Amino acid sequence: MKNPLKQEEWSPYVAGAGLGLVAVLSLLLANQLPGSSGAFQNLAAFVAKPLFPDNFFFNYLMPPAITWQVWLLLGVFLGAMASAMLAGVWKLDPNPDPQWKAVFGPQVWKRWVMAFIGGVILEFAAGIAGGCTSGLAISGSVQLAPAAFLFIPGMFIGGIPVAMLIYGKRY
Amino acid sequence: MTVGTVILTVFLGFVFGWTLDKAGLTKYHKIVNVFRFTDLSVLKYMLSAVVVGMIGIWALKGLGLLDLTGTVNTYIAGNFLGGILFGVGMAAAGF
Repeated sequence: MKNPLKQEEWSPYVAGAGLGLVAVLSLLLANQLPGSSGAFQNLAAFVAKPLFPDNFFFNYLMPPAITWQVWLLLGVFLGAMASAMLAGVWKLDPNPDPQWKAVFGPQVWKRWVMAFIGGVILEFAAGIAGGCTSGLAISGSVQLAPAAFLFIPGMFIGGIPVAMLIYGKRY
Repeated sequence: MTVGTVILTVFLGFVFGWTLDKAGLTKYHKIVNVFRFTDLSVLKYMLSAVVVGMIGIWALKGLGLLDLTGTVNTYIAGNFLGGILFGVGMAAAGF
């Protein structure tokens, strides 16, 4: 059997269980739960607050700060990179995924524009909802917070029609 | 935050990122295909994390080793409508 550290993929059930353990240890040792969208907002505030000094959101809700989530995000970046490097699949590649190319064509700029627009929508929505897939859907569910059970169906109600629109007959 | 907390947090993030990559969730097609129901890795990963996290957290709470004071806030319209818009962004970006 191949060394599991060098395998490109694990069963998503095993990988997910790993995140479950991270959630338990975060709450036990740091009294926090994993999340990522908040870290991006606190980091964005370093640019946004000087530009909009009276903005309520960047003054009171998400002020510029190196929060717990920012450190977690740094770890996420390093962990995902180490995983891909050990598996020998890490590379800097601006080209889109083969499935993307089959739908939108090979142009790299289209992928970057779409990633940017989608990213803006995603982060704005996380601001409205109060979290993202990790901070709200997963961390909320483990606490049995009703918010998570409103967010997850919403995610599919929003995502399915967009995927249908993009993939058309190939859906 | 103490240096110890920062090291612990980066380590926890490291494991989080490691599992994301191992589940293939750093790839565009894995994210989009959950909305096409052709690859359910995102759901399998999320629900497995929820099951393990839920059992661990509620067992430790039952033993009195931790408390759940920082529960995620619920506001029905925000969580639900934010979720819908989030799905739109997720399917478009593939992240």
